[in-house]
Amino acid sequence: MRFRYPRVAIAFAIAGAIQLIVPLAVRAQMAADSMAPRDSTRASFTLRAQAIGLVTRLDPGPADRAYTEGYLAQPLIMAHGRVLDGHLSGVLTLDFEGLTLERGQLNMGAYGEGYADRRHPHTYLHEAVAIASGAFWRFGVSLAGGKGFVPFGTDDPMTRPFAAYPVNHHLAQILERYVVIAAARAGPLTLEGATFNGDEPASPGAPPDASRFGDSWAARATMTPHALLEVEGSFASVTSPEIVSGGGRDQHKWSVGARLRQPLGPLSDALVEWARTDELVGDVRANQFTSFLAEGSTSLSRASVSARFENTTRPEEERLADPFRYSRNPTDLSIIGITRWQIGTIAVSTPVSVRHADIAPFVEVSYGHPTEQLTPSAFVPQDFYGSTSIWSASIGLRLGIGSMAHRMGRYGAGVPNVPGGTMAGSQHVH
Amino acid sequence: MAFRPRAFRWPLVTLFTALTGCGSESPTTTKPFTGPSLSVIGHGQTTVRFTAELWTRGNVAYTTTWGQRSGTAVGNAVYLWNIGGNTPVMVDSLIVENATTLGDIQVSDDGKLLVVATERANGSIVIYDLTDPLKPSRLTRYQTPNTSNGVHTAEVARVDGTLYAFLSIDPPDAHLVIVDLSNPENPREVMVRNMGNPFVHDVFVRDGLLFTALWDDGVTIWDIGGGAKGGTIANPVQIGNVRTAAWSPSAGGSEAHNVWWFQDAAGGADAKRFAFVGEEAPGSGGSQLNSSNGDIHVVDVSNVSAPREVAFYHVDGAGTHNFSVDEERGILYAAYYNAGVRAIDVRGDLSTCPADQKAADGRCDLRKMGRELAAGLSNGQTFVWGVHFDGSFVYASDMLSGIWKLTAATRP
Repeated sequence: MRFRYPRVAIAFAIAGAIQLIVPLAVRAQMAADSMAPRDSTRASFTLRAQAIGLVTRLDPGPADRAYTEGYLAQPLIMAHGRVLDGHLSGVLTLDFEGLTLERGQLNMGAYGEGYADRRHPHTYLHEAVAIASGAFWRFGVSLAGGKGFVPFGTDDPMTRPFAAYPVNHHLAQILERYVVIAAARAGPLTLEGATFNGDEPASPGAPPDASRFGDSWAARATMTPHALLEVEGSFASVTSPEIVSGGGRDQHKWSVGARLRQPLGPLSDALVEWARTDELVGDVRANQFTSFLAEGSTSLSRASVSARFENTTRPEEERLADPFRYSRNPTDLSIIGITRWQIGTIAVSTPVSVRHADIAPFVEVSYGHPTEQLTPSAFVPQDFYGSTSIWSASIGLRLGIGSMAHRMGRYGAGVPNVPGGTMAGSQHVH
Repeated sequence: MAFRPRAFRWPLVTLFTALTGCGSESPTTTKPFTGPSLSVIGHGQTTVRFTAELWTRGNVAYTTTWGQRSGTAVGNAVYLWNIGGNTPVMVDSLIVENATTLGDIQVSDDGKLLVVATERANGSIVIYDLTDPLKPSRLTRYQTPNTSNGVHTAEVARVDGTLYAFLSIDPPDAHLVIVDLSNPENPREVMVRNMGNPFVHDVFVRDGLLFTALWDDGVTIWDIGGGAKGGTIANPVQIGNVRTAAWSPSAGGSEAHNVWWFQDAAGGADAKRFAFVGEEAPGSGGSQLNSSNGDIHVVDVSNVSAPREVAFYHVDGAGTHNFSVDEERGILYAAYYNAGVRAIDVRGDLSTCPADQKAADGRCDLRKMGRELAAGLSNGQTFVWGVHFDGSFVYASDMLSGIWKLTAATRP
């Protein structure tokens, strides 16, 4: 309790810092942009700061209570720089949710890293990756290393049109790991392979366990058969993600996703994904979790309207005295239940651009229906929430300053080509 | 950009596959037991909270509670039962504040103290005076930075006449804490040592030897004063270790959960030869309350510096949990979660058997040896956490419904 006000002060300090930093960065970017056509070997640098201020109501939440809370969510500073005609580049993303979201963000069905029904804060050092890129014969190739995203699954929810994360975040993405990624790209095909540490972050300030680097691996293939469409398929073998010291359940993860790369008819963007995670003890499958998710956006007048449906199963673990927190050391490697979450979400925003800033007021409404998958179960949604019909509504403002020449979660040759667009080995800029 | 529907053909096939693949799975079921039964004498029912461990002394049983049930009822209660009659009757309860799971409970050998472990956040032990067994009087709650991760089990045992509590602390940095209970109002930590991979789950103490169940690291035997290796309670010295087999060859580690070093009151060459190790493995396709795996492993400890597994007991579709042994009659009672309670004849040589009673790896199979005496609560409607044999009856704690009083097994 005594930390609440300093944290608010820190949040305002972050906002202030963003105001100071970003104009400088925008000037740097403008200078780099203006120079780029004249001399492509010159360095370029982009910087973006963004945050979401929002108020969320969840009804009912744990213990059959309604919760209304406000946050500064996703306060990020993202930097991307490249030198030597893009052969050497770097990505840095700082995430300050550890300061603004320590209790977690109300988020229907969300789970992971000790939080349930609240989204956990990400680590302060979200990404710090160096990338060496080049061309080899007909291939674009790259080698990336640092702390960041593992080439598995679909794009991070942070880059998608909803403030609320889907339940499947821990089934469909792997991030904040020490990772080395080799990637090759030729025509419409992109292949990535990586090794990384399996342990999930223990807290916003905790680095991965370096001694575990290399205990996990992942591979992803991405096809762009058409300029409109990008399809990915990926697999990851993750060692003991939950118990940091090792010895916990391992995971085998699969993901298949298709995303719209350009507007198609009324759709301005769309994503369909399926993900599955098997939890293993030795080679014996203890549990399996699956997810299907579809989302898309369209423009209506000046508004952007987005809709999402997902059908995801999540593990339940023993809750602590704070009902939004659970033990990260599952008793005897057993979970206490599996809940299937079926959630529909609609978001409406009216984005506007003011100089180098983008502002998007939004309203987002979700309806969820959780049911237990196994009976008897030590976690019964009807008992825990008092209902199996749950509503959530958020109102808020997205604010971003600057722009970003980097697709979050992909590095170097791991960024697919646009068919008929770029050359092998070239850098794809967003 | 022209739209070409054919380009979407295989993604649509993938999507269909994905939609139809979002199914669920079911846990493996147990096979019915067809032998003699441990008959039900009475059932003390409680469904407000999930029941966990139990202990009995005289006509009183104490049961702990676990996790969260019905939204708001958390495992912060100890229930007191009068077990003098056929049906256990709940007579009182104790509430431990700021607790969500009370996983373990034990009465000291002199009957004076009741020790309750609090797991998860605010890990501690709570110590009660049992001058009046039906009105425990709280002496203290012992909580230090070394216990705060959560006390999974608290084994109370006497070493050289002094009463100690052996606390198995949850990860991260799983460790064992030993606390001197000579002054129970002011327990004193005498040892802390990291051990377990990833858990140290339970211990067994007898004759100056400490047996620790270290999950994937198996069972380690320590000298704490009786092993002639210079060990003390403050500085245990490792003597031996055994990695017991997994219930399935593909299951990986030992998952050693609990230990009982058997001392047969009937004596004989094998009287102190065997220790029983409980393997607790997660169920296949299930969760707590509906699925489990794991065998009972028989370890020959006649040479404590080189213990070796010689036999096992397996139940299809179920796994074992805590033990209680009738050392007068040589009968092991094992809680078997979804398979109820199993009674096994453990008297005599468990390491020698004909070839047709051996597994492929050479261990004897106690079931094939005909040592399975009886089963109780094996209809699949219970999930038995613990058992306690009080000299006459067997009591079982059922996570779903409370406490059961069963007849004891008889030797053939």
